[in-house]
Amino acid sequence: MTLDLSIITDNAGLFAQGAVATVYISVAAIISGLLIAFPVALLRLSPRRVMSWPAVAYVELFRNIPFIVMLSLFFYGLPFFGLRLQPMTTGIVALALFGSAYFAEIVRGAILSVPRGQMESARAIGMSYLRALREIIFPQMLRFFIPAATNTSISLVKESAVLATLSVAELTYQGLIVQGQTFAPFEVFLATATIYWGLTALLAAGFRTSERRLGGQAQRGFSSRHRLAARYLSLEPEPRS
Amino acid sequence: MDFSVEAALAALPALLRATGTNIAIAAAAMALALAGGILLTILRSLKIAPLNLVIGVVISFIRGTPVLIQIFLFYYGLPALGLQLDPLTAGICAIAFNSTIFISEIMRGGLADMDPGPVEAAIALGLKARAIWGKVVIPQLLLRILPPLVNEATIILKGTALLSVITVVELFRAAQQISATTFRPFETMLAAAAIILVLNVLVSQFGGMLERRLAVRRG
Repeated sequence: MTLDLSIITDNAGLFAQGAVATVYISVAAIISGLLIAFPVALLRLSPRRVMSWPAVAYVELFRNIPFIVMLSLFFYGLPFFGLRLQPMTTGIVALALFGSAYFAEIVRGAILSVPRGQMESARAIGMSYLRALREIIFPQMLRFFIPAATNTSISLVKESAVLATLSVAELTYQGLIVQGQTFAPFEVFLATATIYWGLTALLAAGFRTSERRLGGQAQRGFSSRHRLAARYLSLEPEPRS
Repeated sequence: MDFSVEAALAALPALLRATGTNIAIAAAAMALALAGGILLTILRSLKIAPLNLVIGVVISFIRGTPVLIQIFLFYYGLPALGLQLDPLTAGICAIAFNSTIFISEIMRGGLADMDPGPVEAAIALGLKARAIWGKVVIPQLLLRILPPLVNEATIILKGTALLSVITVVELFRAAQQISATTFRPFETMLAAAAIILVLNVLVSQFGGMLERRLAVRRG
């Protein structure tokens, strides 16, 4: 078994187009998903049931229905509400809403990770709720927010592959096209996977840089006092003393 | 076109039958992934540098690529390596392999958070590695990582719908087939979504119950 790389190089154009579309879809969905997530999280945190309950329902709906099913619900369902969108637009909308449910839970957790006293003090000195959120809470929640949001963003890039089922010409769809022409599934899907791998790695690296700029995460290492137990409890190579 | 509640209800029996396939696939994949995750974790704990390097690359690959592509690789790609699997087997293998990696990562995190005391005591008592893993580390680890494991189970269950793309007749593909004859895709999909929603909520609730039951033992 040898890898026939000419299959990849001959169709590099299609792969590139697909990769560009995947980046476009992902970026659009990540940004709009984040924007939707903030109001959803704030509603979810509201002490009033009438406000928090719809937010809980929204989050649970999107998190418990597989994205492939959700996507086809949007595809067949939006016309019922008089909305006839391109498959690409439908896909971005569905992916953004899907992502917003996960982002909302992260925002909620991040806001809760900031001690209550911070909000109470800010309100006590006369800041409005929104101003206190923006100037006191948001800057402090980033430490918690960024690593989790990175993971969800990466999930969205991966989940965007499902848009191929609507014939949206993104990376997976182009992979299927090339596979249909060349009958070399192993090479084609390995190449497709590698491009996704590169995209998600880039995304992770980008977020890591922004995390470092914000002061960085404390590294958790296995205490040298417990070197014996580390034989079982640590998967990292033993630290040199 | 008006929304037809009857169409959604009429599709339910056939969809429920197809859901059995999703449950069976998810159960098989979860069992395989749990066993695989434990084995991979023990393998990684041996800290054989070149092996861990390879495992690290595989982990990064699986975490960085869509499950859909992994399913394609198992079903369409493996025959190139001389391994022809039927859609169901290929699908279960793909999901189980993906989940093995994620479970091993969950276990890595769980191990780092564990109290080293009991392990040190077991080593001091001269227990063999087998006994330490089997009777000390794994039981406590499983209790500790129960919440993320339940979450992983719901991810697996949702992932089973992806097998529709390699022609496994499960809930989503059944919904597509029904839509093709009734021309009521929205109603049918809505019924399918409701079924899997209920199923997932049940799994989460069951997980929550299990957690409360075991909370005492977790200390």
